[in-house]
Amino acid sequence: MSYHYVVTAHQPTAVTACVTGNFTSPTDLNLIVAKSNRLDIYLVTPEGLRPIKEVGLYGKVAVMKLFRPQQENKDFLFIVTYRYNAMILECVSSGDGFEILTKAHGDVSDRIGKPSETGILAVIDPKARVIGLRLYDGLFKVIPLDKDNLELKATNLRMDELHVSDLEFLHGCANPTLILIHQDVNGKHVKTHEISLRDKEFVKMFWRQDNVETEASMVIPVPSPLGGAIVIGQESILYHDGVTCVVVAPAVIKQSTITCYARVDPGGYRYLLGDMAGHLFMLFLETETPEGGQELVKDLKVGLLGEIAIPECITYLDNGVIFIGSRLGDSQLVKLNTKVDENSSYVTVMETFTNLAPILDMCVVDLERQSQGQLVTCSGAFKEGSLRIIRNGIGIQEHASIDLMGIKGMWALQANGEKLDDTLVLAFVGQTRILSLNGEEVEETDIAGFTSDQQTFYCGNAIHNQLVQVTPISARLVTIRGKTLVSEWRPPTEKNIIIVACNESQLVVSTGNQVYYLEIHSNELILKGETTLDVEVSCLDISPLADSSVADIVAVGLWTDNSARILHLPTLQEAYKELLGGDIMPRSILMATFEGHDYLLCALGDGSMYYFLLHRESGVLRDKKKVTLGTQPTVLRTFRSLNSTNVFACSDRPTVIYSSNHKLVFSNVNLKEVNQMCSLNSEAYPDSLALATATSVTIGTIDEIQKLHIRTIPLQESPRRIAYQESTQVFGVITCRIDIQDSTGLSPVRQSASTMTQAVTVSSNASGSAVNKSGGSSSVVAGAAAEYGQEVEIHNLLIIDQNTFEVLAAHQFMPQEYAMSLISCQLSHDPATYFIVGTATVNPEESEPKQGRIIVFHWSDNKLMQVSEKEIKGACYSLAEFNGKVLASINSTVRLFEWTTEKELRLECSHFNNIVSLCLKTKGDFILVGDLMRSITLLAYKTMEGSFEEMARDYNPNWMTAVEFLDDEIFLGAENSFNMFVCQKDSAAATDEERSQMSHVGHYHIGDMINVFQHGSLVMQNIGETSTPTRGCVLFGTVGGAIGLVTQISQEFYDSLRDLQSKLSSTIKSVGRISHQFWRAFNTDIKTETSSEGFIDGDLIESFLDLPPEKMKEVATNLGVTSEHLIKTVEDLTRIH
Amino acid sequence: MSVAQFLAGLPSFNESNFSKYHTDSNIRSSSKRPSVYITTKDYPVQQVITTERSSILLNYMQQHWDRKAVLRKREVTLSEEPSRKRQRLTGHTP
Repeated sequence: MSYHYVVTAHQPTAVTACVTGNFTSPTDLNLIVAKSNRLDIYLVTPEGLRPIKEVGLYGKVAVMKLFRPQQENKDFLFIVTYRYNAMILECVSSGDGFEILTKAHGDVSDRIGKPSETGILAVIDPKARVIGLRLYDGLFKVIPLDKDNLELKATNLRMDELHVSDLEFLHGCANPTLILIHQDVNGKHVKTHEISLRDKEFVKMFWRQDNVETEASMVIPVPSPLGGAIVIGQESILYHDGVTCVVVAPAVIKQSTITCYARVDPGGYRYLLGDMAGHLFMLFLETETPEGGQELVKDLKVGLLGEIAIPECITYLDNGVIFIGSRLGDSQLVKLNTKVDENSSYVTVMETFTNLAPILDMCVVDLERQSQGQLVTCSGAFKEGSLRIIRNGIGIQEHASIDLMGIKGMWALQANGEKLDDTLVLAFVGQTRILSLNGEEVEETDIAGFTSDQQTFYCGNAIHNQLVQVTPISARLVTIRGKTLVSEWRPPTEKNIIIVACNESQLVVSTGNQVYYLEIHSNELILKGETTLDVEVSCLDISPLADSSVADIVAVGLWTDNSARILHLPTLQEAYKELLGGDIMPRSILMATFEGHDYLLCALGDGSMYYFLLHRESGVLRDKKKVTLGTQPTVLRTFRSLNSTNVFACSDRPTVIYSSNHKLVFSNVNLKEVNQMCSLNSEAYPDSLALATATSVTIGTIDEIQKLHIRTIPLQESPRRIAYQESTQVFGVITCRIDIQDSTGLSPVRQSASTMTQAVTVSSNASGSAVNKSGGSSSVVAGAAAEYGQEVEIHNLLIIDQNTFEVLAAHQFMPQEYAMSLISCQLSHDPATYFIVGTATVNPEESEPKQGRIIVFHWSDNKLMQVSEKEIKGACYSLAEFNGKVLASINSTVRLFEWTTEKELRLECSHFNNIVSLCLKTKGDFILVGDLMRSITLLAYKTMEGSFEEMARDYNPNWMTAVEFLDDEIFLGAENSFNMFVCQKDSAAATDEERSQMSHVGHYHIGDMINVFQHGSLVMQNIGETSTPTRGCVLFGTVGGAIGLVTQISQEFYDSLRDLQSKLSSTIKSVGRISHQFWRAFNTDIKTETSSEGFIDGDLIESFLDLPPEKMKEVATNLGVTSEHLIKTVEDLTRIH
Repeated sequence: MSVAQFLAGLPSFNESNFSKYHTDSNIRSSSKRPSVYITTKDYPVQQVITTERSSILLNYMQQHWDRKAVLRKREVTLSEEPSRKRQRLTGHTP
């Protein structure tokens, strides 16, 4: 058996639908965005879009519509999923939040019926009388929206039109009336149908318009009083209301195809149109009112507004601001301007929303060599194509750096009493230096009242316009105005001050066992308390908690007994003592409030840290947890970013600690080592951090805090494959761009990565002799001039620097030659590392490619050279390095090529038993092959015979998209109905026949198409005290832009998680009432399981942490464990990604 | 008619919306995620969507049969008067 845990590390980001309306309340204007199985609900505010909730559904959204039911003052949400679950959702306020009620739900599928090629269409009558669904060809399902019935009875109506491109309900009709575009042998036609709800029939056709444009694919109903509808074609736009018919063919829309629209005015005079090239148009209905008559549409005007992200959906928000939902690129918030800008555009992008979709390929690399993987994905397509670098943790954007050795402490001051920091105080052994920040200039200065011949232990602004400096000798109070020393406090004994903690008005110092508490007043420091502890103090903290500016307690870390203690102020009486255990002493202690919870953090000398929940009044510590942050003594410092408290842990593995969903998150910072840090908010460096390393001070800003950090490298053409070459520190990337044939030949549609690099080499037609022998009857010779205006895909291999991400070189393949696969590897005894590309010559007249090449490139001395090429008879879908040889899947075959001493590829052996071998993975002598429709096959290479042997096969018909080895006998596969499954080879079986059949030991519905599996991890290994028994990690990337991972777990752990999963699936109420079991069950056209098997749904497990505490307790009690234990288990699981 | 004219007077539902948006030359890149909605409250479902299970062919036939039946009934009522023709009970006369 196999036991796996699957979890989404990055939720899908491709936007498939967006709607605007009053959902959360009658007065709230909401934007709702659907991303695969998630809805993001935003509120439109004066400051912009404010995200308010993310809602997970147990289904992938196919259609989402907002509608206003009769007698309601707000909108309801109607959703149909890809698996035909329909739901009507209402949002009601509850306390300070809201609840989403499922008003109606049900399965709208039919047992028979051919799913339509144009997908699921759902429309709602403008008067909210009925919902119409076109799910299957020739059927139209009507759901009457009757408020009083407990049952909404959906009825199928027979629709004569089989091929419907689009349909809508018309406005202003006495009975619900459909308008549709359909296709028959004669062309495309527009028809209207009145629906009789009583007879459950289409009863009447008001009007029709035969033979509209053959590419017409979208119908837009026009609200009353105009009525009628607009039909959008490739080249023309038609308005028809049964009487008048206006057609226009504006030149601007011909370049591409309009795919989405948004109505601007409630009256329906203006519409925004978006096309596949990312153009935004406005369509305007010009009307006239004949005397005594009704207003009529006279003309249609179309204007190009500008360029946007390639849109999937558009919605108008308010005051000229629109939202562009994109599936292929970053979605955008866009402002429409009445004035044209210098680029003759009327649009300004206000905000972008990161989108990784579609992820075509990815690789895991460790560029910073911090034993932490980063993911580089081929994301987006066409002009939105990009590489995305995804890493766990946060980054520092460096703005300035000063070389300074041996910094022991660092503080920013407002030395002149202004609001911004203008001074940086640096402590060194035996001295202190003061830097004044003047714009971007930094110069050394003096503050008269400060002493500079001592090491500063603390320095900062204090109340009453004063500054405090604490050195081993004394605490000094200095006025801001005169910079004069007004008060100095020395310890009563002759001992030196060793440890200090201070805030605006309070100071606590220790000289060993003694602790003194002082208050800062105007011109004086007043000793308010002192105590002697049984052991020496190692660290102190007096940070005020939450919003107060005065601390009531002080936190102390101690040597010898390794305890953390809380003392009351001002008495310094012990309130609580926590023995940390072990023999490593605390080195830094800090009290901080995260998301309303008070914590005590205590870092030890070995880089580990304990943290507790702190009860402010009593000082009691509870919920002790331990995490390993680094290997060296750690210094904890707070800073504020985005109005939240964060803690910076300075060590050899700098970490930022913050809170998310009421739990502490530890995020690596991609810096090698940080010894000291302080917040800095100066004129030239606002909201920055000053970070001291052993040799320098760096001033930088910290990235927006998040777990996965995504950096975008725009390519402006579609990336397809990526391979990393460590020896030369470059990435190889296969891209595809569109060129257009014009009078001078092929020219690129737009500038992009492959056109903007200087070093371009080209595969000439002559060298590719293979192409000219193009298969059989074909009359098309590759490279022959395409028709004028024809779009041609041009494929390139780009060489991209791993640090700068600059395109160093490009190799352009022949026209009609598609690069399909790419690897970087060493071959045989050849010391060089090569990029190897597999191609296919695509001839539109052939059912599958009959020609292709495997080309070996060498990148050295900044030159890309072709070393060798091998003609092959088909498309090389996939390549893999295999024991120093090249393994290629070519059409239906798998072939092994050896690398000869003459640097040529020579065929060694082949395997023929597939339809199309799409993907290959290797492990030792084993090869895993994913077939177009014949699932997974395992091959073994027989070294002695030099041949392949088919070891085992999965005989289920699965259409594969990706495969991966989990171990020698367990294989992971993803198929095109959004499922994932695990096959096992049974080597111990008695008969050959049994051994040759793989059995399905796990299956799971992921709800998104997986394009790529890669072994690797996104988190630093061994961080935290994770006792999670997970083994191995396979990352996956999806068409929807999600990144997830699959890891193996033990049976014991699986069983306990399965119990938790089933408990959670009943505790957490599904929005839309789709059962969790149904959602995760393997499902294809031909096979539907009743539940998932062998997989734990990590997304559901992790949602345990979002439950209210009493529910956590209930779940835990039910499972017979404490909720603390369960929280720890689940928190540990969240740290694997 | 120019594009600028198209764009004049775009609808405004609430004038203050987007009025305080920070336009600091840089395009903001947002990847902030809101908290996830989770509910443990079991609200009673008000309505269930069901599909009429009978086949559309049967529906069609039934509807049309009903209509025909109505027509036939009328025919029957019309022909309630005793027929003048009698069923011939005897065989053919030779």
